[in-house]
Amino acid sequence: MPSSDISYNESDLGRNAEAQPDRVTMRLLIIEDDRDAADYLVKAFREVGHVADAATDGEDGLALALDGQYDVLIVDRMLPKRDGLSVIGELRKKRIETPALILSALGQVDDRVKGLRAGGDDYLPKPYSFSELLARVEVLSRRRGGRNEETELRVGDLQLDRLSHMVRRGEEEITLQPREFRLLEYLMKHAGQVVTRTMLLENVWDYHFDPQTNVIDVHISRLRSKIDKGFAQPLLHTVRGAGYMIRDGAR
Amino acid sequence: MNQAPPVNEKASRSLSALGKLFRTTTFKLTLVYLTVFALFAVALLGYFALNTRRLITEQITDTVNAEITGLSEQYRLGGIRRLVLTVDARARRPGSSLYLVTTFNGDTLSGNVTALPPGILESNGWIETPYRRLDETEGANQPIHNALVRVFQLPGGFRILVGRDLEERERLYDIVLSAGRWSVALVIVLGLGGGLFVTRRVLRRVDAMTETSRSIMAGDLGERLPVDGTGDELDRLAENLNIMLERIEALMHGLKEVSDNIAHDLKTPLTRLRNRTEEALRTAASESEYRAALEGTIEESDGLIRTFNALLMIARAESGQARDDMAEFDAAEVARDIGELYEPLADEKGIALRVDAETPAMLKGNRDLVSQAVANLVDNAIKYSVSPDRPADAPPLEIVIQAANEGDRVLLIVADNGPGIPEADRARALERFVRLEQSRSLPGSGLGLSLAAAVARLHGGDLTLGDNAPGLKSIIALPRAGPLQMAG
Repeated sequence: MPSSDISYNESDLGRNAEAQPDRVTMRLLIIEDDRDAADYLVKAFREVGHVADAATDGEDGLALALDGQYDVLIVDRMLPKRDGLSVIGELRKKRIETPALILSALGQVDDRVKGLRAGGDDYLPKPYSFSELLARVEVLSRRRGGRNEETELRVGDLQLDRLSHMVRRGEEEITLQPREFRLLEYLMKHAGQVVTRTMLLENVWDYHFDPQTNVIDVHISRLRSKIDKGFAQPLLHTVRGAGYMIRDGAR
Repeated sequence: MNQAPPVNEKASRSLSALGKLFRTTTFKLTLVYLTVFALFAVALLGYFALNTRRLITEQITDTVNAEITGLSEQYRLGGIRRLVLTVDARARRPGSSLYLVTTFNGDTLSGNVTALPPGILESNGWIETPYRRLDETEGANQPIHNALVRVFQLPGGFRILVGRDLEERERLYDIVLSAGRWSVALVIVLGLGGGLFVTRRVLRRVDAMTETSRSIMAGDLGERLPVDGTGDELDRLAENLNIMLERIEALMHGLKEVSDNIAHDLKTPLTRLRNRTEEALRTAASESEYRAALEGTIEESDGLIRTFNALLMIARAESGQARDDMAEFDAAEVARDIGELYEPLADEKGIALRVDAETPAMLKGNRDLVSQAVANLVDNAIKYSVSPDRPADAPPLEIVIQAANEGDRVLLIVADNGPGIPEADRARALERFVRLEQSRSLPGSGLGLSLAAAVARLHGGDLTLGDNAPGLKSIIALPRAGPLQMAG
């Protein structure tokens, strides 16, 4: 992994006009019993322009979340008074569908499955990088937007037809392998948002492990050569230290 | 006084040793058998004694009856005179028969018996009575004998008493009784002695085993239970326990090696991490230098997390937890998917990646883990195929991922034509953290093959490394039906 991929700092992103995600302010609730970790997250989210509250036990967290004023919940699994899964379960029982991301030190496949079954929307094992968490939270908050149902995705002059599996850029038709199509589809569904390598591996390949070598980068560069090569305006961007983003740079 | 406590102590120690002896199963069994045998001996000898006695009594009564018949015949033939003569003649004969003829008022007419208790002659039938023979000198020190007698009334008021001495019968009875007592005593003594001997022998061996297991518990895993080579049940037990100890020792050894390796593999990057941070604090002058140092720090910690995750995954696979979520899946599909995932990467390195998995190969297992295992093998194949000292005229590099059905097993094969692994190193390559000399410079945790092997074992299969001539051929063989559930 090249070292340039690692750093992720918001001021850096802010300066990088080329690959700046479209950011809408979110209200977040962090339920985490480790006060240091919670404070760190609150501060980090504020720095990138979101609003974050923190609760340090399950009961407080549930009470705050019941207000329903949040866009995304970030819930630690092991909490005092009431564990994270039960907080989410209680919310879902009360028909509060605020997307929830589960943080857990138990980073194993069946724990992930358990977390998602309990009503969580995403799962991130500790230790995590903030860029990974941020990318996932932003994708979750936007998921309610309903972009899932559109049959045609469009970024700049790039179009993807989800029914006919046709991809064109401008007038030119682009032939993609099935997996490349799904990769592009996922990126375009989250256009303007940072998508991490792990997210791609999970959502495009349905793998929940960490390949030793970064195989995703090679797939991206292949895709890039098909959709960006020969065009003046690149659409598929690498976000240093975080992942990738497709976005119309001309806007 | 000062001497007393050690003596007491010694006594109480030997007492407690004796108590231990008495509490053993062997000793209790000995006691039970001893009781059974003693009762049996008593019953047998008692039966014998009583029967002997009855037999002798019967003989006596037969003889006496015959004599009485004979004597009454004499009386009938020749009257009292002839009877007296006959009795006189018979009474003088040495032997044990006793005779007495009296008148109706009890005056003795003839016979060899005296000192009969009064009233005997009035009785009728069989009776046991003390007596003295006439020819014995009278005296207080003379023993009184016992006899079994019968009194018979003759016509004319005469009475005839015929009897036999019982001494013989009593002596025989006494002999049998004392033989019985002695043999029962002997049975008890021998039984107890034998029991103690056997018990002590068993106890000694059990004590030796206990001793050994104590020292094993204290940490000396190299100890083995004593086996004395007789092949008895204790030997078999000891042998099996020794095999178990062997296994535990191997596991402990493995564990120790693993923790040593973990310590090493985590310490190295941690040290690097620390050095880098320290150096940045000491020397960095500009923001970009700080930034570079911090980026390096994150990179190192990511590597650490990855190593850690791989270790957890192996531990999880080895503990068998993942057996709960196993389902049917197609290994051929896994081969194709992994091939598809890695094809661009291989292509970039100038390696042709080919998948040979047309026919479905269904099996029960954890798809995610099997995928990861195959991915690790392909990853390794790509990483290690490319080597700078590959001759220019070598054939183009190729990796083949194959899924095949073989009997009741499914094979997932990753074969390359790179440098391969020398046969001597193959077993070692499967160990955790082992990175063969030629691979030290490449990135990786050294856990890829161990993880693949752990996944194979989790499924009840195995991972073997073979020769692809040239190159490496890694084969994951998995039973189609999934791991056999452990009994119990």
